[in-house]
Parts: sequence; structure tokens; C-alpha cells
Amino acid sequence: MPVWLREHSWRQTLTAVYLSLPLRGARATPANIFCSEQYLKVSIPPFLFEAILYAPIDDTNSTAKIGNGNIFFTLCKKEPAMWDSLTLANAGKEKLQYLRENAVLKAQEKAKQETEAKKITKQEQKKYALEATMKLEEAERKRIEDLKEKERQKVATELEFWKNQQKDADKYKSIQKKGEFRQETEPLKERKNEEMNKTRIPNEGTSKIRLKTTKGHGSCSIFSQNLKEEQLPAPRAAATIKVNFTPRVFPTALRESRVAEEEEWLYKQAEARRIINSDLPELEDLKEEEKNPDWIKEKGNKMFAMGNYLGAVNAYNLAVRLNNKLPLLYLNRAACHLKLRNLHKAVEDSSKALELLTPPVPDNENARVKAHVRRGTAFCQLELYAEGLQDYEAALKIDPKNKNIEKDAEKIRHLIQETMQSS
Amino acid sequence: AAAGPERPQVVSHVQQALSYTVFDCKWVPRSARLLCLGSAARGTGLVQLYELHGARLELLREIEKPKPIKCGTFGATSLQQRYLATGDFDGNLNIWNLEAPEIPVYSVKGHKEIINSIDGVGGLGIGEGAPEIVTGSRDGTVKVWDPRQNNTPVANMEPVQGESKRDCWTVAFGNAYNQEERVVCAGYDNGDIKLFDLKTMSLRWETNIKNGVCSVEFDRKDINMNKLVATSLEGKFHVFDMRTQHPTKGFASVSEKAQKSTIWQVRHLPQNRDVFMTSGGSGSLHLWKYEYPAQRSRKDSEGSEMGVAGSVCLLQNVTLSTQPISSLDWSPDKKGLCVCGAFDQTVRVLIVTKLNKI
Repeated sequence: MPVWLREHSWRQTLTAVYLSLPLRGARATPANIFCSEQYLKVSIPPFLFEAILYAPIDDTNSTAKIGNGNIFFTLCKKEPAMWDSLTLANAGKEKLQYLRENAVLKAQEKAKQETEAKKITKQEQKKYALEATMKLEEAERKRIEDLKEKERQKVATELEFWKNQQKDADKYKSIQKKGEFRQETEPLKERKNEEMNKTRIPNEGTSKIRLKTTKGHGSCSIFSQNLKEEQLPAPRAAATIKVNFTPRVFPTALRESRVAEEEEWLYKQAEARRIINSDLPELEDLKEEEKNPDWIKEKGNKMFAMGNYLGAVNAYNLAVRLNNKLPLLYLNRAACHLKLRNLHKAVEDSSKALELLTPPVPDNENARVKAHVRRGTAFCQLELYAEGLQDYEAALKIDPKNKNIEKDAEKIRHLIQETMQSS
Repeated sequence: AAAGPERPQVVSHVQQALSYTVFDCKWVPRSARLLCLGSAARGTGLVQLYELHGARLELLREIEKPKPIKCGTFGATSLQQRYLATGDFDGNLNIWNLEAPEIPVYSVKGHKEIINSIDGVGGLGIGEGAPEIVTGSRDGTVKVWDPRQNNTPVANMEPVQGESKRDCWTVAFGNAYNQEERVVCAGYDNGDIKLFDLKTMSLRWETNIKNGVCSVEFDRKDINMNKLVATSLEGKFHVFDMRTQHPTKGFASVSEKAQKSTIWQVRHLPQNRDVFMTSGGSGSLHLWKYEYPAQRSRKDSEGSEMGVAGSVCLLQNVTLSTQPISSLDWSPDKKGLCVCGAFDQTVRVLIVTKLNKI
């Protein structure tokens, strides 16, 4: 049971109430005081003071001073009026309860509002700080821009001045020359005729006109120009110098960053040529030239051109047994399989060709494009459109200007969309 | 990039959008006019003459020719005539009088394939000796022409019989300090740089810089050869000190990797031979200065003279475009004024400031 503090004294003015509450030895902190518009409570266990105020007060502006074993409240009345007493006289128990709860709720609300207000002010302050820094930076930027602009303008005016100087100088020179020209026309015409062997006829005509309008600071009269012509040495005796170039296999320009790749490719090609499996027993009865994979490849190509796809496949098979490192064999065999509708084999062979066509250099671009296109076609015919599209896009990456590949890639995309919509 | 207040700044003065691909741009000597050479969409060649008017370029003339034009030079013409020599996609070398451009003043089908690069010497009141034009082509040959001699070149550097050809991408004249001396430097796509001596008609030096050579230029054509800059693919360039040739090691060089992409052009500032600008495939321009070493040559272990290369330092760089800047030309009359053409079909006039303070 709390101990009620009943010894309090108060006095009032029109606008405020001064309440003095002695604490019987208890120490008070602000946390023990709870105040709302019409309810005041001081709770320092086990002491308790509670008052339902006669009229509402403005609790935000009211203060409490703790000291000297005493709490001194200064409560600002909401409405200036004289109170009959500090507390409401006949406050029933329920009213008391209701007021208490109300007070608590109100206090909570107020606390919430305060935190929100605090948040808002914090945000606004941040915004303000940001704007201030932006303004500063903007000012700095503008200053630099202005400097640059001043420089630019200065330079532009100098240029205009120089240009006008040129123009004036030219006008002056041409007036001068007109005078000179008229004086010297006759003897000069004769001289010019002499010089016709050295200069061309159109040259002669125009050089006369030129002198009227020329804008040069150089020799001012025709005389000195002719003299200069005479002093020029004769054209050089024609000769040829033979030139040797630093050898380079690729027709493209030399770039340091590509050298490593190019070397690798060349090495692989060289190695591939050297491998010949010549210890297969069936090959003993073949003629010498028939053991050359390139020769067999040529035969295969011819058969393909004539439509004999099975024969071509056989030829390529033999060539592969002799030398399984030549990418073009697999590439061509893939084409045959496409025609024969052996789609899985076509995919295999194109893949093997692509493997052998690493590293990717501009030299094997054509081959790689063909391999991708063939594999893509095979995938599409197997209705694996996504894989097919991948290959077509790879081909486009190597050769972006090829319209056929683009068209086919578009078609595949449409097909994929259709199948997705229908499924 | 923003810089300290004392570094040269590259100020973009005028930008002009073109309706064709521009391959070369050149200032007309002794004027505020410039030429753009290129290829129109319909496959014909275009020459446009612009004049600087305040903050814009005014088109004065447009000349159309049957074949796209790749390169041009004023190097071999006199100041009075100012004829333009051009190389086109078909291998034709033409010299035009821009006042009467219907018929060329000189014309020859010099090469079987496109003329990639052209240079001229002996004109414009600079240096001595006969005016000559050199062209380098995809057909692997480098030919020197005299405009007074029709049809046949005065020098032909061609591959040995049976040798497969390499594209010649760039040519430059140098060492033309008197009437007899002259050299031609040529760069090829396989990284070869060759120096041909026209007085002795022989190969004077060759080397390989491991990347296709996009552009070569001597710092001055009309002096005893001093420095040669060669730019290449993969963002590298080399500066060779040409004063001292070692019997086996050739010329000393310093190389720099400026950026990741191809360096398309190098051009020395006409008013200061130690300052040059490189233009790159990433649309950027870099301004460099060469610093000479304390001693330019020293003796090697066997007592032969050997050159010592100096160092390059970057003065400024700026990115103007997303496409390669393929052509660049300094104005010989106004220090710091330059024009560049890029593959985004734009030609830009730039002013580089504070070059006096270098």
C-alpha cells in the first residue's frame, strides 16, 4: 500500500499554479513524475502523490523543480481563471480510474508525437546540410568554368585579331601587286613564253591570275619566282629501291597483344600437318598420294559438290584416320552429315572442328563461322532451338555483317517464341 | 583534364558537323582557311574549303571528285600557287589548283591500291631543293614524285620480287637541309619502319616496333634530321633520336604507352619542334614535350657513337569525341591553332594556350 503524500501547499495566479510538494526524505528523479493535461502523479515507492487537477493545464510548458527535499511545480493553466481548489473535489472512483488511463494514453501519444517530430526535424536538417554542400560544390564548379570561359574568350579575340591582320596584309599586298603587275606585264609575257617548257600551260594562265589575288608574304614579284624556278635542281634520276619486309604470315596488321594467340595457332597448324598415322594395315595397298589427307580431302570435296554424300563421308573418314588433327575434315564431314540428315553426327563433327579451331584468330574466322552455322542447323533440325540459336549468335558475333545468318537467327527466335506460346 | 593554371589548355573553338567521312584536314598556308578531305556517302570524294569566322566555320567551296580522297598535302607547292596534292582510294595522285579544280594540274595513277599517306617537301618557302611528293600505298610501295615529271616516279621503294607485300600506312620526308639531301621514312602494318636515303637511293635504316605503324613524322623536314616520332597500334609511340646512327643498333629511342587504343596521328608544333600532339582511337588528344638528355650521344664499348634518348612528358590531354580522331594539323601561321577531324563526322578547330611558357 503506497503512502500518500498529502502535505502539499499551493498558490495560484491567473495563469499559473505553483505547487510545492515536500518529499519525506525520498529522492526524486524526473522519471518519478508523471503529468498530463489534468492529472498529476508523483510516485517514489513507497510514496505516492496523485492529483486530478481542477482545470486542464498545458503540460508541455509546465515545469517541475526538484531540490531541497521538495518538488516545486509550476503549472501553466490552459485557461486563465482562478481555481477554487487544486483538485477536483468530488472525483468518483471511476472518474479517477478513467482519468488515470486517459492520462497514460495521452502521455504515450505525446511521446510518440515527440519522437516523430524529432525524426522529421532530423531529416530536414540532413536535407539542409546536403543542399548546402551541393551549393558549395556548384559554386566551385562554376568558378572553374568561368576561368575556362575567360580563357576561351581571350583566345578567340586574339584569333579574330590575327585573322583581320592577315586580311589587311593581303589587301595591301594585292594592291601593291596590281600596281607592279601593270608595269611589268609586257616583258613578263615574253619571259613566260620561254618558261613554257618547264611549266604547264594551265599553270601559266592561272599563275598570272594568282598574282592578282595571292595572299602570300613570299616573293612579291614574278621575277623572283622565276629566278627560284631556275635555281631548282632538275628532277631526280629515277631509281628503285628493293624492300624486304619482316616476315608475317597473317595478312592483318601486327598487334603485340595478339602475338601469343597467333603463335599458338601457327604451331598447332604445323603440328597437325606432321601427324600422319601410317601404320594402319589397310593402308598398305593405297598409292602414295592416296595417303595424303589433303588429297583425300580434295576428293571428298569433289564428291560433295557432285551430290555423292556417302562417298564424301567415306573419303573424310579415311582422311581422319590418317590425320585426326585437321579441323577442316571434321567441318566438311559435318556438312555431309547434314545433307544425309545424320543430325547427331553433324553436331559431333562440328563440335570437334570447333575444338580444333582454337585459339580463335582472324585466320580461322571463316571456318569457325561455318562450324557454328552447321551445328546450329543440326540443332534446329533436331528441334533443339535454344542450342541452335546459341550457335547462330556465336556465328554472328564472329561475322556480324552476314545477312543470311542474321535472317536465320531471326527465324529461330520466332520459332522459339511460337513454341513457348503454344506450350 | 583540369590542370594547374600554368599548363597549356586545349580550348575547343569551333565544332563543325559534316555530312561525310573526313579522312584528312589541312590548313591552307598563310590564311585562316582550312580544307577537309573525305568520302561522301555515295562513294565520291569531297574537298571542302572553310574559313574561320568568329566562332564558326563558313563553307567557301565544295569540290566533288569521282573517287574518295584519303589524304592531302600542301608541302610541295609554292606559297603563291598553294596547290593541293591528294591521294585517293583508287591510287591516283592528283595536284589541284583550288581556284580552278575541274582539271588537275598533275595527275598520275601512281598505285594499284589506296594511297594511305602523302607528304610533300620543297615548297612553301621552307627548305631547299626540288619540290617532291611521296605517297605510301596499300600495294606495299612507296613512291616519290616530282610534279615536273609526268607518269613515272623519281623513286620507287617496292617489295623484292616474290615477296608478299605489306600495307604501307604512313610516309614522311625529312633531312632536307640542302638541295641534295633528303630521306623518306615509311611505316608499315607489320611494324616495320624503313628509312630510305634519296641521295644514295638506298635503305639507310630499318627497324620493327612490334605493332603496326600508324603515323611517322620528323620534327622538322628541312633540317638535319633531329627526331622522328612513330605511333602505332596498341597505344604506343616511339621517339627516335636521329642525330646519331649506330652501325648495328641504329637510332636510340624512347617509347611511351599513352592509351589503350591506336594512336592515329602525330603532329609536331611548327613553332616548337620539341612539342607534339598525338591523337587517339578513343577520341583523345595528348600534348607531349620531349626533353633532351644531358648528353645526346656516348661511346659504346667498341668506341662507336651511340645515341641517347631523352624523355617525354605529358603536358595536357583532353577527350573530344567517342570516335577516333584520325587527322590533325597545326596552323603554320598561328601558334597553338590546330584542326582535327574525327570519325564522328566532325571537324574541330582547337586552340592550345600557354605554349609560349613551355
